[in-house]
Amino acid sequence: MSWAAHDLEPYAIQKHMRLKVAFVPLLIGSYSPDLMTKWFVYGIHLGPWDLKASNPEQFHRGWPGFGFTHSLLFGVVIGLIIWKVFGSKLWGVSFCIGQFAHALTDTCDTLGTMLLFPWTYHFHVGAWAYAGQTGRMTDAAAYFSGLGSIWDLVFIVYGLYSWRILTSQYFDEVIYRADAFWPWLNRTVPRDALVVIYRAAFFYGASRWIAWTIWAHVIHNYPYDLSWGGPHWVPAAHP
Amino acid sequence: MRLRLSFDRPSRRDLTVFAGYCVASAVYIAIGVTWIDFLLSFWVGLGYLLLAAWLIPTLVRRLA
Repeated sequence: MSWAAHDLEPYAIQKHMRLKVAFVPLLIGSYSPDLMTKWFVYGIHLGPWDLKASNPEQFHRGWPGFGFTHSLLFGVVIGLIIWKVFGSKLWGVSFCIGQFAHALTDTCDTLGTMLLFPWTYHFHVGAWAYAGQTGRMTDAAAYFSGLGSIWDLVFIVYGLYSWRILTSQYFDEVIYRADAFWPWLNRTVPRDALVVIYRAAFFYGASRWIAWTIWAHVIHNYPYDLSWGGPHWVPAAHP
Repeated sequence: MRLRLSFDRPSRRDLTVFAGYCVASAVYIAIGVTWIDFLLSFWVGLGYLLLAAWLIPTLVRRLA
């Protein structure tokens, strides 16, 4: 799984597709595969109850489980539903592209995704360890010690290199014009706040990347392991 | 054939805006590293950014 890439990739996609995509559904699509499942993978405490999947990796990426949310079919089906229900092809297509980006990025870890569900084969590149089953903190420490962290960094650097996509001028000329959502929101929210909202996912992804890196390597001294499939100090999940 | 990376130079105003976000980010990171739950929610991040990059600067400008 990826920690900040799903916040950052939509900006790179937006840069290349400009008016052909709408940013908000692109971002929602990018978040969508994990929206309903991540809390149950890591587990939560609710009063006296501990709620956690008995087999987190199976629940998150497998079948039976919610692994179908990481398939291309899921993006197409939800995209079509959005298109038909809201009458916006742009929103449907943008959601679909965002969801595809998430599903493809997650093939880079050791567990991979069932990209072509209902075929339950896990496509996996195995570049970094999937450690969601170890709990949130160990997963964070592992992710920010391996190549996944570098993958996130690529998108931070690319976003900063393409800094114009984060300017208010770009927001006015591309983001605002591409999607009726922004003029609608602008009826109650001032334009300056809209620009901040547009930049929020990049800010969140980049800041979180730095914060987790400090937490893992300055405060806790987890070792870096940038070898393929690492870090190898964590028990990685495989298909 | 020579390949050359071109980098668009930001204006002084662009750099000022960027510096403001860097300060907001530094505070966000400091809070997040101290209290890790702060880093976990996108909505908390969005709320924080609206406060730091829009509401507070707007109030300061009005009061100045």
